[in-house]
Parts: sequence; structure tokens; C-alpha cells
Amino acid sequence: MIQTLLLTALVIFSILAVLLRDLLKAAISLAIASIFLAIIFFRMNATYAGVFEISVVAGLITVLFVSTIALTKSDGDVRESKVVSILFPIFFVLFIIIDIFVMKTLLNRLMVVRYPAPTGNFGQVLWGQRTLDLVGQIGVIFAGVFAVIALFRKRDKKDE
Amino acid sequence: MVFTFILVPLVMASLMPLIGKISKKFLPDILTNITLLFLLIYSITIGRQIISSGTGIRQLVWLGQQLNITLALDGFSLLMLFLISLVSFAVGLYCINYMEHYGSKAVFYALFLLMIAGMNGLVLATDLFSIYVFLEVAAVASYALVAFGLGYDELEASFKYLMLSAVATAFILVSIALIFGFTDSLRLHDVALAFQLLNAKYLVGLCVTLFIFGFGLKAAIVPFHAWLPDAHPSAPAPISAMLSGVLIKISGIYAITRIFLNVFGLNPAISTVLMYLGVISILVGAIIAFSQNDIKRMLAYSSISQIGYIILGIGLGTPLGILGGLFHLFNHGIFKSLLFLNSGAVEQATGTRALDKMGGLAKRMPITAATSVVGSLSIAGVPPLNGFWSKLIIIIALVQAKAYGFAIVAVLASGITLWYYLIIQRQAFFGKLNETWNNVKEAPFWMSASMIILALICIAIGILFPIIIKSWLVPATNVLSAGVYYTINLFRF
Repeated sequence: MIQTLLLTALVIFSILAVLLRDLLKAAISLAIASIFLAIIFFRMNATYAGVFEISVVAGLITVLFVSTIALTKSDGDVRESKVVSILFPIFFVLFIIIDIFVMKTLLNRLMVVRYPAPTGNFGQVLWGQRTLDLVGQIGVIFAGVFAVIALFRKRDKKDE
Repeated sequence: MVFTFILVPLVMASLMPLIGKISKKFLPDILTNITLLFLLIYSITIGRQIISSGTGIRQLVWLGQQLNITLALDGFSLLMLFLISLVSFAVGLYCINYMEHYGSKAVFYALFLLMIAGMNGLVLATDLFSIYVFLEVAAVASYALVAFGLGYDELEASFKYLMLSAVATAFILVSIALIFGFTDSLRLHDVALAFQLLNAKYLVGLCVTLFIFGFGLKAAIVPFHAWLPDAHPSAPAPISAMLSGVLIKISGIYAITRIFLNVFGLNPAISTVLMYLGVISILVGAIIAFSQNDIKRMLAYSSISQIGYIILGIGLGTPLGILGGLFHLFNHGIFKSLLFLNSGAVEQATGTRALDKMGGLAKRMPITAATSVVGSLSIAGVPPLNGFWSKLIIIIALVQAKAYGFAIVAVLASGITLWYYLIIQRQAFFGKLNETWNNVKEAPFWMSASMIILALICIAIGILFPIIIKSWLVPATNVLSAGVYYTINLFRF
């Protein structure tokens, strides 16, 4: 029951983050959604995932969003197509129906193969068994940093 | 050491901004191109050596201790590594001149090398989550590269690309999560074995659907192609060449092929879906390309059409179909890169991409025109160039499999392709010289050199195609034809 309530709250605040036109409110909704997700992680014994979700997504990223919004001047309202506000609920309801159908009807009937779970604590699994992913993560971080440098660079006068 | 394919571009990328502080242009140009040449030679010599002794499953050893980094190099991944290295080397040479006026060359090269590291990692990964991580490395770098010009169009195209890629990633992640939930493992070997034991056709169907949405978006298969006609024309020409020539194939086609054929196993249902998606892409891409006036947009739609041929061949699932699909994938990487580099040379010289404003440029830009003719005839499938052989093999495979309808569409679309490429030639390069372009000059040395290299490769593959098929394509086809049993038997570690 609590799990269902938490999941419902997560979905509601995620939708608000997308639909709210005020960026500040949208960022706060995202942070609240993230806190609900973190609680779900904790309840499912994924402690590290919960800690990262709260500290990075609900904390650090929200601070970055709010700071950026505070530092950015409004450039006037951008007109958005009304089609989105009509289509979104339709797609959302369709998604929920398909999701329930798939999860309850199809997947419950299937057997599961259990390979031995990774042994060791979080650090051992992360450093010892997901080493290649860490190399990839370094690549993602570099790409993000260089993307910021490239996109916020000053152009030479002759290029402008 | 197989890890070199990931490590070298990653390390060079991380050093590039520092190198840029010492020398803004010279050292970044030299070091990037040396790195790319090294990767090309390495893929030809060491790569072939490794797979000649069977599948190159390698666990990384560092300072005498075994690290948990396991990479697999086989005929299929080696073909992809070779394509990435070959195209990126030609593009690297082109960038020496072309990227002069963009500024911040060192950062550009850093992102370029990261994109290559991401693609190499994806091709060598033996685990679904690692595939996703390296997909993201290549994707994040490519968003920035598309927007590198910082113009309105570039930023808009990059944003659209980013948004649709995020949707694609969500589908891919959901599928990976489902697989993990049912198998408790993400290793390709374990998943392949588990799916054989489970005999779970519903689960396979669901995962295939999600992967088709996700990787189909990355590969720009119709109807998931909306981002490509904006992103590819807006990017700087060398990046358009990399995106159309290599990236959509690695992050889309490679992933689909590896997972569907070697992990799930290609059943008649998946085969039919892929073939229909292929044939729809062929037709839609060709018909829309036909009506374009922007040369790069026409090339972008043409990419969608040609990706359709690749999917059609691989989706057919017979050894000949797979061979034809892979051959066309390789060839398309070469001639589409060449054509985008041609369009970049024309755009840089004239300042326009509109075909109706060009005219008679062959008189002022003979090298660009000549190489463009080679690229156009190759992609249209005119004998004896490389595109002819790959399309012929796909069509023969379709006829052998009695898929006559698909074969007829493939032949007809090839005719449409020839038609719109002849329009490019007639409007841009031949006919009377538009007086506006009297002072236009041929592309600078390195740009011309890279276009000549790619054009010569098109001709060489066309003439020497039996050697290419025997040495590069047959090992790759064998890997895919062996299906799930290949992964179960040879990906054990």
C-alpha cells in the first residue's frame, strides 16, 4: 500500500515537472519526485542508489537548476502548441494501460532464470565488477565537460 | 591489447584541451591525426591477428593483476572498428582545413576523439549495460559536435537530437532493466543462455519492441527518423560525415544486429518486422530525398534510405543477406562520408547549401566534383563501384529467399537514388557556371586529400570486392549467422 502511494506520488510530481510552465516550480517538483524515488530505493534495500538519488538528483542538480533559473533573465513567454496538452493525457493513459497489461498479464506468467548475484559490498561490485562502466563514466564526464566548454566558448569576431 | 581501442582516444581526448593551451592548431591537428592513423593501423594489423586465433575475448591485466574489464573482438566487431577508424582518419585529415574558422580546435578534437572512444567501447562491450554506457559517451559528444557552430540551426538541431535520443535511451534502459529482472545478469552470454532456457517469446517480443524503438531512433529507421534530417545537415560537414557514415550504424545498426542475432536469435517474426522497417525506410528516405533543395538535407534523407537496405539485408537473416547488409553498411560508411565532405567543401567555398543556387562548380572545384561523382555513382549502385556489389548481393539474397516484392522495391529505389544523385551532379557541379562563383577556388589540400582517399577506396573496393568479402566480411557474417549459439559457446569467460 505504502509502495503504491509512493509510486503514485512519484508519477504525479514527475508529470508536474514536465507540465508546469514556471521553471522554478518545475525544478522543485522534480526534486520532490526524486525524494520519493529515493525513499522507494531505500525501501527496496538499494541504499546506495537512494543516497545518490537524494544527494545528487534531489540535492546538487536542484541547486544547479535553481541557480541557473535565478541567473537567467526571462526572454518572454514562448508560445507552445496546444496539441501537446491534448495528446499528453491520451498517451499517458495509454501508457498506463499498456504498462499494467504487460506487467500483470504477460510478465507474471514468465519464469525467471537466476544467475549467482554479484558477491561483495557496493565498493567491490562497483570497482571490481563494473570496471568497464567506470571507464565509460569517465568518458561521459569528459564529454559533458568539453561540451560545456565548446558551447559556452567565445567565438572569434571573424566568425560572428 | 584490445582495450587500446578505447583507452588511446579517451586519453588523447582528455589531454587535448591542455595541448590546445600549448598550440592552438598545429599540435591538436598533428596529434589527433596520428592517433587516428594509429587506430586504423592497429585495427588492420593487431585486430586481425587477434581474431585469426579465434574470438578475441580479452580480460584486461594491469600491473600483473586481472581487472574485470572483458572485451570481445570478433569478425563483426573488427569490421566495425575498421570502419570507424577508416572514416574517422579521413575525416580527421579533412578537419585540419575545414575547422579553421570554427575556432577552439582542441576542444573540437577532444569531443571527436571521445565520440570515437564511445563507439569503440560499444563495439567491444560484452555486457548490455556497458553497451548503454558507451552509447551515451558517443551520444553526449555528438550532441556538442552537432551544435559546435553555435548558430541557431545548429543549437536547435542539437536540442532536437538530444531530446529524441533521451527518449531512445529510455526505451533501451527499460528493456535492459526487464532483461536484468528476468535473468539476473547483463552479460550477453548469460542473457543469450537464459533466453534459450526460458523460451520466453512474450518477453523477447517486448524487449525487441523496446530495442527497435530505442536503437531504431538512434539508427534513424523510419518512422523513428525525425531528428536526422535536422541534425545531420546542421552539424559541421566532418561531423555530418561521422554521424551519417558511422555513428548511426554503430549506435543503431550494430547494437540491433548484435542483440537480435547473437543474443535473442533471429526468429521469423523479428525478421519480418526488420524487413518491413527496412523497405519502408528505403522508400520514404528516397522519395523525400528526391524533393530536397538543401544538398546536406538530401544526403541526410538518402542515409535513411540506405540504412533501409542494410536493415533489409540483415533482417532477411540468410548468410547472403547478412553479408550483403554488412557490405552495404561498410560501403555506405565510406561513400556517405565522402558525399558529406564534398557538400562541406562546396558550402565552404560558396556559402550556400541550396542546389538551385549552385551550378557549374566542376570548373572551379574539379577534385570535389570528381570525387562527388564517384560517391554519387557508388551510392546509386552503378557498376563496378562498391555500392553496386553490396546492393546486388542484397537483391540476390532477397530473390534466393523468394522475397520478390522486397527485391523489386530495392531495385526501384536504387533507380530513384541514381536519379536524385544525378540531380545533385547536374545542379551543383555541371552545366553552365553560375557567374556568382567565378572566384570560387578548389578545397584546400587536406580537405581534397581526404576526399580523394575516400573516392579511391570506393573504386578499390568495387574492383577488389572478392578480397574484401573474403578477408573482412565473411568472418563478420559467420559471427552473425551462427546466431545465439555463437554467444553461448564463444562468449564464455
